Amino acid sequence: MARKGLLITPDLCIGCRACQVACKEWNQLPASKTKNNGTHENPPDLDANNFNRLKFIEYADQKGIKWLFVSHRCMHCGEPACVQICPVGALIKDKDTGIVYYDKNKCIACHACKSACPFDIPRYDQGGKGKIAKCHLCIDRVRAGLIPACAKTCPTGAIKYGDRDALIKEAKAKKYKLYGETELGGLGVVFALTESPKVYKLAENPRISESVAFWGSVLRTLVGRGDSATSSFIKYLAKKSNE
Amino acid sequence: MELTRRSFLKVSTGAFLLSSLGLNLEPAKAYATGLRTKGAKEITTICPYCSVGCSIIVSVRDGKVINTEGDPDSPINEGALCPKGASIYQMANNPYRVTEPMYRAPGENQWKKITWEEALNKIARLVKKTRDKYFITKNEKGQIVNRVDAIAHVGSAALDVEECYILQKLMRSWGLVYIEHQARI
Repeated sequence: MARKGLLITPDLCIGCRACQVACKEWNQLPASKTKNNGTHENPPDLDANNFNRLKFIEYADQKGIKWLFVSHRCMHCGEPACVQICPVGALIKDKDTGIVYYDKNKCIACHACKSACPFDIPRYDQGGKGKIAKCHLCIDRVRAGLIPACAKTCPTGAIKYGDRDALIKEAKAKKYKLYGETELGGLGVVFALTESPKVYKLAENPRISESVAFWGSVLRTLVGRGDSATSSFIKYLAKKSNE
Repeated sequence: MELTRRSFLKVSTGAFLLSSLGLNLEPAKAYATGLRTKGAKEITTICPYCSVGCSIIVSVRDGKVINTEGDPDSPINEGALCPKGASIYQMANNPYRVTEPMYRAPGENQWKKITWEEALNKIARLVKKTRDKYFITKNEKGQIVNRVDAIAHVGSAALDVEECYILQKLMRSWGLVYIEHQARI
């Protein structure tokens, strides 16, 4: 299987947020109670029950005001920092599709991945204290030949799923500026933009800290031991790597 | 492939580097035990919300709805669904759904459960009362009109042609002229 990906075209998005609903429906995630914070953007942040979220951006320039909708989720990096730092191999990059998914049974809730991620994606269950929860690009569906829930439901084609190379070619043919084509080994989620990435609140030149590989190897060495004192030490170190 | 010292070094260094990056070289384990809807019975239905009429596949196992998603074979929605349509799963599985008639008396701030019989009788009584009070037989010009201006009816986009026909008959028989439809508002 060729590397799979999403192509997100904010210009086609109407901000209906069916992607958020479909994601919750497929992944059986409960609702979170939220407050109206003065914008249509809701929920206010990603969490263990919200794997994707639509950013509403009001942007003004000389030409006037633009209202931009940007679908936001795990970028499924080509060189995922979370996979590099995870001491127990709970975060996994799928060899066939390039999808970065996870195994909750392996996760030890050390939260090292949060510090490694350049896009601030990993969230944790049990009110932020438990195990990893994030977008896994519906890898269960993908392996069964279905397309991810968000891309399936999108009524305007703002979220498209397919072979990454084909999606990039298609966006280039339409003269879009691409974000994610080369960043961090090429992101699995590629954006087709008409303005600079900054306008869409996408991280410019995302980088993985050089210490990620170091912390990863330190943590992995300790995991071999497996007594409770070591595991709390791992959590302490993981916290330290956050700083 | 003949394994020379040089190519052996290349391969083994590469493998070492990859493993030092934390990439799992073993076959990756499945995310879940399998597809959630595998082996479930699939039934198609029409979205009950607006008049676009998108098709939905409902997956059913042991008589329970376990998943709903757009039907890719539909020429109307081609597998896509809006947020309301995508939430249709909650029509069947929702602890907050009202499943019995509820009544809030004038001045009360609490809803209480009542039976269908009570509810229908109450509605019928109120319709009769209002209709008797406001029924107009003749307008200012003395023409026979036989109408009720005090009651209005709002139909739903989820009604099909036959249901609309029966509702129209019923409302006209009461003398209603304000007969509206959700899709026009």
